Amino acid sequence: MIDMMPISFLFFAGALLIAALPKGSSGAAISLFIPIIAGWQVYQLPAGTFAEIELMGQTLEMMRVDKLSRVFALIFCIAAFLGNLYAWHVRDKVQQLAALFYSGSALGAVFAGDLITLFFYWEGTAIASVFLIWARGTIGAYHTGLRYLIIQIMSGVILLAGAAMLWRETGSIAFDLMTLNSLGTWLIFLSFGMKCAFPLLHNWLQDSYPAATVTGTVILSAFTTKLAVYALARGFAGTEILIYIGAIMTLFPIFFAEIENDLRRVLAYSLNNQLGFMVVGVGIGTEMALNGTASHAFAHILYKALLFMSVGAVLFRTGTSKASELGGLCRTMPMTALFCLIGAASISAFPLFSGFVTKSLIIDASAKQHMVLIWAVLVFASAGVLSHSGIKIPYFTFFGHDSGKRPKEAPFHMLLAMGLTAFLCIAIGVFPDPLYALLPYEVDYKPYTPNHVVGQMQLLCFALLAFVVLMKSGLHPPEIRSVNLDTDWTYRKAAPSIMLSLGRGLGELLRSFESALTSLTKDSLTWLERTLGPEGGISAGRPLGIMALWIVILLALALIVGYI
Amino acid sequence: MKEETSKVPENLPITGRFFAWFTDPAHAKYIIGFLVILCVGLFLADFTYKKYGHFEAETYKGFYGAYGFIMFTALILAAKTLRSFINRPEDYYGSKAIDSEEYPEAQLEKLEHSHD
Repeated sequence: MIDMMPISFLFFAGALLIAALPKGSSGAAISLFIPIIAGWQVYQLPAGTFAEIELMGQTLEMMRVDKLSRVFALIFCIAAFLGNLYAWHVRDKVQQLAALFYSGSALGAVFAGDLITLFFYWEGTAIASVFLIWARGTIGAYHTGLRYLIIQIMSGVILLAGAAMLWRETGSIAFDLMTLNSLGTWLIFLSFGMKCAFPLLHNWLQDSYPAATVTGTVILSAFTTKLAVYALARGFAGTEILIYIGAIMTLFPIFFAEIENDLRRVLAYSLNNQLGFMVVGVGIGTEMALNGTASHAFAHILYKALLFMSVGAVLFRTGTSKASELGGLCRTMPMTALFCLIGAASISAFPLFSGFVTKSLIIDASAKQHMVLIWAVLVFASAGVLSHSGIKIPYFTFFGHDSGKRPKEAPFHMLLAMGLTAFLCIAIGVFPDPLYALLPYEVDYKPYTPNHVVGQMQLLCFALLAFVVLMKSGLHPPEIRSVNLDTDWTYRKAAPSIMLSLGRGLGELLRSFESALTSLTKDSLTWLERTLGPEGGISAGRPLGIMALWIVILLALALIVGYI
Repeated sequence: MKEETSKVPENLPITGRFFAWFTDPAHAKYIIGFLVILCVGLFLADFTYKKYGHFEAETYKGFYGAYGFIMFTALILAAKTLRSFINRPEDYYGSKAIDSEEYPEAQLEKLEHSHD
């Protein structure tokens, strides 16, 4: 018997209860209640391995509790609570169930002590989360959801293949630190990389998150990618290639985010850029860097959710999240604007906001290792974050050009969810010690030094000044209704058109083969008729004589065959 | 611009009025002035404490300010150039993409401010 129920089961039980109850506010209430109990339990859990199951000679560890899994599990519970509070108005059971199954699976994966348990929960997050996209109910969302599901499931299948290879090699399925020295570990690395949106494997993120429902995107933003960051931190801490992958991840999305029109997609690019910082931290792999990754994931989940919530509230009230259609909403949605600004300040890492006390752990860790290029890239990417999440999102939504839209302020439950999230963003920024205490290793870092505060303020304020100069001189790119090509072009445009032309070519080939065959048959029949038909050469002349001759030949042949 | 101001409802919440002040083009000069003073102040602040860092560049006065300004400008200009290559019309991916469809009305609560 297992000695303890895995915490993920609490979420699944809650989901089943919602399924059994009639539609109404009870479902929303359960969605709030479950993460609170789970969070409390996670906080209280002692370190150790629980809920072990023997299966076919292997031990499945369903609850491996240590400081790394606990900090991720805790933020997952907080994110589930805040996301479900934001979704209080949703009466769609599919979304309520999906949110609970999804967050429960993410929590289960974080506590998984072996690769098989991890695989099951890994796929669980994929399958549950796609319903948050499909719940939008449009043909576009359906197609996007399919693309998302294929990639997510593929990541799981690759994980399973890697785990099987590793098991054959080592005889163990334990999910511990690995080195990239076999095909098995490379496959596991690739699987984590797909979910973590590594460069060129990233586009499922920007494709799918803007396609989910208003509330679905908030929930999606918290779990999948941070689960992948956790998995990398657990399995590949100190793997050097991650430093370079992470650095590229911080860089390339900032260019795309700058020219993207759909603000929820801007935030998806920005999410990708933030993941880059965490991946660099995992790659450096020192205690300080891993603390940085864990704390940045914690802070990031909150401010990213806050930004998705504020843009979601605008979408909820105006029907659009496109920058070209928005502007000037601060007049009638001031609270949403205020919360958006707090999210923007947090992600930009202004002093007194959460990003300041977490991101600097990673940047300082890179400087401590004297990685000058990586450090320069991370500082540049920090200015880049300000450009799209710090300025673009609030400026083009709530300030800037007046769109003439005068929507009502967001509903109370949305404001409450945003307010609580904003409070946490500031609380972490002002009092970082409680978060530092939760981190995997002891923290010996003081974020508030004149050096750090003035340096960061200079970086951000001079970047703001550059924004003003670019706007005034008309050099800043305007927001226009459009889409930008990214790697999804390869499977949304290039591959289908290649398949189409291949199909056409093959069709042509078959058609010409068919017509050649038809004409050959026709010609043969004509020839046969001409030679053997009633008017043919053989039939003409001496039919009886020829017939007799043929019979003689056939009999002779029969005799020969019979005697041989 | 006056027309736009006249569209602002009378019954704005106090926070809305506060934010609206920032959107008035007439006030832009105050905001920019404040930002410039802030930047100058931050630059001068570099002379008041001992700068240290893992790299020599970090110890230069105003290094972060210059780096922020230059890199931000470079980023925007590079992104603008990138746009000229990868930008496509909104309906590029056809009718089965979310970019060219409306968000379903039934899932929204589109209300005007004046409904209050």
